[in-house]
Amino acid sequence: MISQQYPALLIIAPLLGAFVVAVLSWVDKKYCFGMAVASLAAATVSSILLLIDVVAQAPEPIVYKLGGWDPPFGISYYVDSLNALVLAVISCVTLVNLGTVRTAVNKEHPGKEGSFYALYLLAVTGHLGMVVTGDAFNLYVLLEIAALSGYALLGMGHRRAAFSTLNYLFMGTIGASFYLLGVGYLYIQTGSLNMVDIAGILTQTGATMTVLTAMSLIFIGVLIKMALFPMHAWLPNAYTHASSPASSLIAPMTTKVMVYVLIRMMLTVFTPDITFSMPPVTETMVWLASAAIVGCALLALSARNLKRMLTYILIAEVGYMVGGAWLGNTTGMTGAVLHIVNDAAMTLVMFLAAACMAYRLKSLDFDDLKGAFSKMPFTMAFFVLGAVAMIGVPPTCGFFSKWYLLLGGVQAGNAGMFGGYVFCGSLILSSLINVVLFFRVFEIAHFEPLAQGVDDHGHPIRPKIPMEEAPPTLVGGLALTAVALVVLGLFTSDIVDVIEAGVLPLLDPSLTDTIFLAVTGS
Amino acid sequence: MKILAIALCLLLGGALVFVVGDFPDWGDPMSPPNDYRLSKHFIENTMEETSVPNIVTAVLADYRGFDTMFETAVIFTAALACFFLLRTWGRRPSKPDNVYMHLLTGVHVRLKHGKTLSPQSRTFARVESEILRYDLVTSTVCRLMIPFIQLFALYVVAHGHHSPGGGFQGGVILGASFLLLAISHDLRTLRERFPEVKLMYLLIAGIVLYSGVGFACMIYGGNFLEYEALGPLMGVTPVMAHSLGILFVEIGVAMTVMATMILIYNYISSLGTYERGL
Repeated sequence: MISQQYPALLIIAPLLGAFVVAVLSWVDKKYCFGMAVASLAAATVSSILLLIDVVAQAPEPIVYKLGGWDPPFGISYYVDSLNALVLAVISCVTLVNLGTVRTAVNKEHPGKEGSFYALYLLAVTGHLGMVVTGDAFNLYVLLEIAALSGYALLGMGHRRAAFSTLNYLFMGTIGASFYLLGVGYLYIQTGSLNMVDIAGILTQTGATMTVLTAMSLIFIGVLIKMALFPMHAWLPNAYTHASSPASSLIAPMTTKVMVYVLIRMMLTVFTPDITFSMPPVTETMVWLASAAIVGCALLALSARNLKRMLTYILIAEVGYMVGGAWLGNTTGMTGAVLHIVNDAAMTLVMFLAAACMAYRLKSLDFDDLKGAFSKMPFTMAFFVLGAVAMIGVPPTCGFFSKWYLLLGGVQAGNAGMFGGYVFCGSLILSSLINVVLFFRVFEIAHFEPLAQGVDDHGHPIRPKIPMEEAPPTLVGGLALTAVALVVLGLFTSDIVDVIEAGVLPLLDPSLTDTIFLAVTGS
Repeated sequence: MKILAIALCLLLGGALVFVVGDFPDWGDPMSPPNDYRLSKHFIENTMEETSVPNIVTAVLADYRGFDTMFETAVIFTAALACFFLLRTWGRRPSKPDNVYMHLLTGVHVRLKHGKTLSPQSRTFARVESEILRYDLVTSTVCRLMIPFIQLFALYVVAHGHHSPGGGFQGGVILGASFLLLAISHDLRTLRERFPEVKLMYLLIAGIVLYSGVGFACMIYGGNFLEYEALGPLMGVTPVMAHSLGILFVEIGVAMTVMATMILIYNYISSLGTYERGL
C-alpha cells in the first residue's frame, strides 16, 4: 500500500518538512535542524526503496498518477532505473551534506538557520521533483523552485555573493525561459505535455521544423542551466562567493540534475531517432563538450583560489557528461549516467573539504592554504582521496566512469565520428591537468611555509603549526563521503547494471511500445 | 562584442519567426492542441468529473493541481528568500523617539524617550518620520476604499471555480489592499495590524492548507491530491469533493499570495529593518 506512494512521498516529505521548519524557525530555532534531517531522511528512504522496486520490475517503469488522473490528462510521475538511481544519489548526497554542515551553518548564517534549512529543503524538493517527473511542464515548475531557493542560498555569502548571484539569476532565468519556450513549441506540435505521450506523437509526426526548434530551444535552455562552457560564465563567481554549506549543497546537485534532464529529453521525449537524426549536430555537441573540458581545465589552471579552481573543474565535468551523452552509443550514455553518480559524490567531497578548510583558514586563496596539512591533517587526507578520484585513479569511482566515457569515445570514433577521438583526447588531457591542479595544492599545503635555515644537525627548521581540525561533524561527513568514493568504485558493476536497465530500453526502439503502454495504458 | 550579441539575437529571432510558418493555422480547430484527446477530454468531461463549470480552474487546480501547488510553493519560496536575503536586525533603542504631526499646520513634533500622545488625539497624528506627510484626503479615501477592495478580493477567491478568478487573483487584490494601507498611511500602521510573525504564519498556513489537502487524500487511501478520497470525510459525492477540494486549495493559494505580497513590499520598503517604510 505505502510502497505505491514512494514517488509522491519522496517529494512531499521534504516539501512539508520545509513548511514545518519555517514555522519552527519562529517558534524555537533549535528544532529546525532535527526536523530538516528527519524529513530529508524520509525522502532518502523512499527513494532507496523506490530504486529497489524499480530494479525488481525493470524494464517496466513505475507510474504514479498525481490526483488520480490518468496520463496524459493529469500529471504523472515516471520512474525507471535511470531516474530512480539519480533520485537515490541526489537524496543521499543532500542528506549527508545536511547532517554535516550544521556547525558551518551556525557560523555563517547566524539568526537565519531556520530559513536556511527551509530553503535547503525546498532546493532539494525542486531538484528531486525535476528528476522524478514525467511531465515536461511540471519539470519547469520544479525548475523554478530549485532555481529560486538556489539563488537565495547562494546570494547570502561573502563580499560579492549578491552581485554574482544576480548574474546567475539573469542567466538562470534566460535558460529557464528557453526551456519553457521549447515546451510551448512542443505543445503546439503535439497538444500534450506528458513526456512519453509526446514521444508517442513525435514518432508519428516525425521531425518537423517546429519539433526541431523545440528541441534546440530546450537543449540550449538546459545547457545554460548546467553551465556548459561557453555558457558557464555565471557559475564560478556564484559558487565561489557563496557560503560553504550552500555551495556544498548546490554544487553536487544542480549541474548533475540538469545533465539528467538533458539525457531524459534526448532519450524519452525526442527519442534517439530524432535526437541523433542529424549527424552534424551530434558531432558539434561532442566537439562543444570537448571544448568545455579543455577550456575549463585551462581556466582552472589560472585560478588562485581553491574554491574557484573546484568550480572550473565542476564545469569541466559537465563537459564529460554532455559529451558522453552525445556520443550516441550505449557505452557513452552509460558512462555519462555513471558519471552523474560519481561526480555528485566527488564534488560533495571536494566542497565539504573546502567547507572544513574555510571553517578554520582565513580564506581559500592558495596563499592561505600554507601549512594546511599540519593544521588539519584529517581534512587534507580526505581531500587527497577526493582529488585522486577526480583525477581518476582506480579503485576510486572517478576512474570507472572515465573508463566508460573513453570506451564510448573510441567506439564513436570507430563508427566514423571523428569527434569521438577528440573527446577521448580532451578527457585524457583534462585528467592530466587535474593532476597538475591538485598536486599544486598539495605542494602549497604540505611543503609551505618553507624551512627557515637549518639547525645544528643540519635538519631544516620548520615553523611549528599546531593542529586545529574542523569540528568533528564536518570532518565525519567528509570522511563518510570520501570512503563512499572507493565503495562506489568497487560496486561499479552493480551500478552499471542498474543504469543499463534504465538506458537500454530507451535506446531500443522495440521496447518503446512497452513503456508507452505502461504509461498511457492505451 | 555588442554587435555580435545583436547579430545573434536577430539571427535567433529571425529563426523563430521563420518557424512560425510551420505552425498550424491560427484558430485551426484541427490543430494538435485543439484536436488532441487532451483538450477534448477537458471540454467534454470537466463538469461530469469535477462538477466545476470553469474549465480553466478545473485544469489548473484539479487535473494539473500538482503544478499549481508548486507554483504556490514558488511564491512561498520567493517570500522566504526575501526574508533570508533582506531581513536585518539592527539595534533598536528601547525607547524610540515618536514623531507626531500637527494636522492643521503640518508641523512635526519629535517626542524623545518613548513618550506618546493619546492615539485618540484629533489634532496630532503619529507618523513614522519627519519626511512622511500625513494627508487627510488620501488616508480617508483609502480607508473607505480598502474594505470594499477586500470584500471584492474574497469574492474573487470564493468564486474561482465558477467564474473568472481564483486564489492567485484574489490573493493579489487582498495583498494590494494592505499595500494601499501602507502607502496611504505608513508601514507602522500596517505592522500594528499585521505583525511580521502573523504574516509568516499566514504565508505558511496557505501552502500547508494546499499540500495538507493533498496529503489528507493520501491518508484516506487516494493518490496525492486525489480529492475524491476526501468525499466520505466531507460527506459529499466524490465528484462534489473535487469541487470542494478546489475551493480549499484556492483559499490556501490566496493566503500565501497575499502574505507574500505584503512581506516583499515591507522588506524592500524598509530596507530589511521592518521598522520604517517609504
